[in-house]
Amino acid sequence: MEIVFNIIKTMKMRKVKYIYWAGALILTLLISFESAAQKGKNINSPVSVELLKARALWFHTNNGAGLTFDNLYDFSDLQFNYALKSGDFKKRQDGENERVFGVSTQGGVKLGESYAWGSFAYNNEMQKGTLYNTMMLDFQRAVPYYAVDKNLSDWKKQNYELKMNVSSKPLWDRYFVGIQGEYVTKTGAKQIDPRSTVYYYTITLKPGIAAKFGNHSAGLNMLYQNLRQESGTTNSNSQVNQDVYVLKGLGNFYSAVVGGLQSLGMFTFDGNTLGGDIQYSYSSGSLSMLLNGTYSFRAEDVLSAPTKPKKEGSVKDELLSANLAIVKSGTNLSRLDLSYSSREISGIEYVQVLDNSWIVQRWVDVYSSVRSDFSSTDMSAAYSFFKGAAHEYKWRAGAFVNYRKTDDIYYIPESSMTIENFYMGADAKINMALKGGSSLVAGAGVVYKNNLDGSYIYGGADPSSLVVTDFMTPDFKYMKQSYTKIGGELSYFTVVGKSRRTGMFFKITADYYKPSQGEGNRVFTNFGAGFTF
Amino acid sequence: MSEMKRVYKILVLAILTVFTAVSCQQFDNISKVGKVEALSAVVKVNLNLGSAPVPENLNVKLINYSERYEISATLNPNGSVTINNIIPGIYTVTVTAEKAQDGFTYNYSGNLVNIDIVNPNKQLTVQVGASKSGALVFKEVFYCGSRTPTGGSYFRDQFYEIYNNSENVQNIKGLCIAILHPLTATANLPVWPGADADKFVYASTIWQVPTNRGDFLLNPGESIIIAQMADDHKKANLNPTSPVNLLSAEFETFVNTTSLIQDNPAINMVMAFWPTPTPQWLTTVFGGAFVIYFPSQPIDPNNFVSPIGATTKHFKISIEEVVDALELVGNANQVQLKRMPAVLDAGASTVGGTYLGVSVARKVKETTGDGRVILFDTNNSSNDFEVMNPPVIRRYGAKAPAWNTWK
Repeated sequence: MEIVFNIIKTMKMRKVKYIYWAGALILTLLISFESAAQKGKNINSPVSVELLKARALWFHTNNGAGLTFDNLYDFSDLQFNYALKSGDFKKRQDGENERVFGVSTQGGVKLGESYAWGSFAYNNEMQKGTLYNTMMLDFQRAVPYYAVDKNLSDWKKQNYELKMNVSSKPLWDRYFVGIQGEYVTKTGAKQIDPRSTVYYYTITLKPGIAAKFGNHSAGLNMLYQNLRQESGTTNSNSQVNQDVYVLKGLGNFYSAVVGGLQSLGMFTFDGNTLGGDIQYSYSSGSLSMLLNGTYSFRAEDVLSAPTKPKKEGSVKDELLSANLAIVKSGTNLSRLDLSYSSREISGIEYVQVLDNSWIVQRWVDVYSSVRSDFSSTDMSAAYSFFKGAAHEYKWRAGAFVNYRKTDDIYYIPESSMTIENFYMGADAKINMALKGGSSLVAGAGVVYKNNLDGSYIYGGADPSSLVVTDFMTPDFKYMKQSYTKIGGELSYFTVVGKSRRTGMFFKITADYYKPSQGEGNRVFTNFGAGFTF
Repeated sequence: MSEMKRVYKILVLAILTVFTAVSCQQFDNISKVGKVEALSAVVKVNLNLGSAPVPENLNVKLINYSERYEISATLNPNGSVTINNIIPGIYTVTVTAEKAQDGFTYNYSGNLVNIDIVNPNKQLTVQVGASKSGALVFKEVFYCGSRTPTGGSYFRDQFYEIYNNSENVQNIKGLCIAILHPLTATANLPVWPGADADKFVYASTIWQVPTNRGDFLLNPGESIIIAQMADDHKKANLNPTSPVNLLSAEFETFVNTTSLIQDNPAINMVMAFWPTPTPQWLTTVFGGAFVIYFPSQPIDPNNFVSPIGATTKHFKISIEEVVDALELVGNANQVQLKRMPAVLDAGASTVGGTYLGVSVARKVKETTGDGRVILFDTNNSSNDFEVMNPPVIRRYGAKAPAWNTWK
C-alpha cells in the first residue's frame, strides 16, 4: 500500500515539475517574441493592453476561432503580485488574514493570418484563521457535499494555470477554426487537526469554428471539461479524534470523525462538463457588436473511501447565459456589456445499502433523488468610456449595475435560503504622461451593494448545531449585508532597456469594504510589478 | 515520423473516446434522477405474546439514523397504520408497548432493522414478542476512557454496572458478561455459518462470576460493579484526572499483575472465553456490544466458531439465554451500523467520542415508595440510556450487596 502512495506522490511531484517547466518555456517564448514583434510599433503598457482587450469582442468568448476578427496586435506581459486581505467582514470560511504571492504572464502574437494567445499563472496562498472548511480549496465551487470542522485553522495553497487561445488562418477565405485550452492544477493543505491534503485539477478544451460573411460573423464552439479533486483527511495528534460535519446543503449534515477505526475516508470529486456557445457579430464602420449564448451541463460525483466507494452525493449543474457586447471605436472608445445568466444546481443524494457478501462488500444504490436545488440569476449592464483610443487612453470612466438573486431549497425536511442583491458602481482612471515615456495612472472606484431581500429558514434535524448557528447563520448575515466598497489604484509605467522596447510598471491597488450596518470591514491590498513587451 | 503521427492521432482519439464515454454515462445517470418525494408505509404486527396480555396500543417508530429523522405513530394491535411524510432511506422500525397487569410489567417489542423505504406504500410487518421486564440490567457503562493531565489516553477505568431492576432477589452466581464480535461498529458485518446463525450472538471475550464461591445475591435496588481494574484510578501513578474510584467494585477482570495492575479487593471474574488474552480486559473505547447472560451449559473454550472466510475464534451465545444487552457505538451516526440483533437491543447508545470521561446510564422510569428506582428497560438503548458526566457508580441511590465487605 505504501508503495502505491509513494507512486502517487511521485506522480504528483512529477506533475508539478512538468507545470514548472511548461511555465518556464512559455515565459521564454513570450520574452523572445517581443524583439521581433515590436519593431516599429508602439510600446505596450498595462493601459494599452487594457484598451486592446476593451476593444476586443471575440477574445472574451469561448470561441478561439473568432480571435482573428478582433485584429489584436502583439503584446505580452509578465507580472508579479503580492496581495493581502484582512478584516472580519467576510465569510466564515475565508481567512482572517490572507496573503497571495503570484506570478503571471500572458502573450498574444500574430502568426501570419492567424493569432495565438497564451498565459501562465502561479499563485502561492496562505490563509490564516479560516473556519468550517476541512477539505475544499475553493469552498464556493458549487458542490454542497464536503466536510467541515469547527477548529480555527490556517491553509496553505498553490495553483498553476495554463491557458491558450488559438485561431487559424482563414480557410477558403471565410472559415476559421480555433481552440481554447486550459489546464488548472491546485494543491493545498489544512494546517490544524483535522488536517487535509487536497489535489485538484481541471482540463478544459473548447474547439470552435467561425465564419465571416461581409459585415456579419457567426461562430460555434463546444466545451468539455474534466475535473478531479482528492481530499484526504488525517490527524497529527493520533490521540485525539476530531469531529467533522459532512455537509449536504443549507445546514443539513451528518456527523463523522477523523481518526480512529471509523475515520472519514478520502473524498474524491469527479466531474465532467459539456457545453457550447453560439456567437453572432456584426461590424460596420466604427460600430461592432457580438451576441453570445452559452449552455453548459456539469455532472459531478462525490465519493468517499475510494477502496469501497460510497456516494456522498452528485451535482447536476446547468448554466444558460447570454451576453451582448457593443463597441464604438474611433477617436474615443465606448463599450457596453449586457449579460444575463441563469444557473440551476441540483444536489442528488443516494440511499445505499452494503452488499455484505463477504467477498464482494460494496455499496449498492437503491434510490437516488434530487434533495436540493440551488438557483441563481444574474443580470448586469456595464458601460465604459475611454477618452483617446489610439494606443493608450487618456482617461476612462465606467459604471455598472448588477442584479443577483439566489434561491436555494433543501426539499425534505425543508430548508431554504433566498438572497437578492443589487450592485451599482462607478470608476474612473486617468493616464498622465510623464517625461521620458513614463506615465502615471491613478484610478478610483466605488461600489454599493444594496440587499433587496433575504431569508434563511432551517428545517432540518439539528437547529442548535454549530453548522447552523455558527456557520450558516453568520454566513447568511454576511451575504445579506449591504456594503460600500471604495477602491483606489496607482501605477507607474516607464520604458526600460537599451532598445526602449520594454516597459516596466509598478502598481498598488486597495479596496475597502464597509458594511452598512454593524461593525467590521475588509481591506484588499495588492502590490504589483511587471514588464510589458 | 508519419508512423509517430498516426500513433499520436490514435492516442488522442482514444483518450477523447474514453472521456466522452465516461462523461456520457455520468450525464445519463444524473439526468434521470427526479426530485425527492415523501413516501408512505403501512405497518402492521404479528403478535407472539405467549401468556402475556394483549396491549391496548403499540407505539410505532420509524428511525432514519443517517438523516437523524424520526416519525412516530400509534397502532392498534389488530389493525395497521399508514405512516406518511417518510424521507426515502434506510429505516429501523420499532414497535413497543408496556402494560402492567397482575403485578407484572410487560414489555412488548418488535423490530425491523435496515429496511429500505424507497417506494410508495411499503408494507411492513413486525413480529412483536412480549417479556416481563428484565430483572438484571446494565445500569451504567463507562467505556470511553479518560484523559490524563498531560492529555494522554487512559482506559483502565472502564466499568460496567449491573442492577437488579426487579422486585425479587437475584442470584448472579455464574452470570457472564461478553463483548460481541465485531468489536467496533462497522458496515462489514461477519457472516456466520449455520442455518440457525441468527439465533445466536457471537462473543469475542466472556468473563463469568465465579461459580465455586457460593451464591452472590442481589436484592432489589442493589447493583454490582464489574471493573476492568478495581483500583482507585485517581491515584498519582494511574490517572489523577480519572472520574472514578473503583476500589469498591464487586468484581474485576484481573489477568496478571503488572507495574500498574494489582490484584485489588474485588473478586476476580473467571476468564471463561478469551482466545488471545492481553494484560487487561480493555474493551474498545469506540463502544462495544455487550450482553449479560446465564449459560445453560459450562463454557468450553474449544467449542468456538469462526466467521466465514476468517479464522478468528468466537463463542456462540443463544439469544434466548441473554438477560440484557447494550449496544454502544462511536457516534450517533454509527447507530445504523448495528451489530446487535434488534430483538436484544433495537437501538444503540453512545457518548459520541473517546477519552471524554463520560458514561452512558439507564434513565430512571420511576421511584418506589421506599426510594428504590426502577429504570427504563424497553430493549432499545437509544431510548433507555443517556450520557452522564461524570460517570458515577451506584447513582440514584443504588446499594452495594451485603457480601461486598470492602465497599
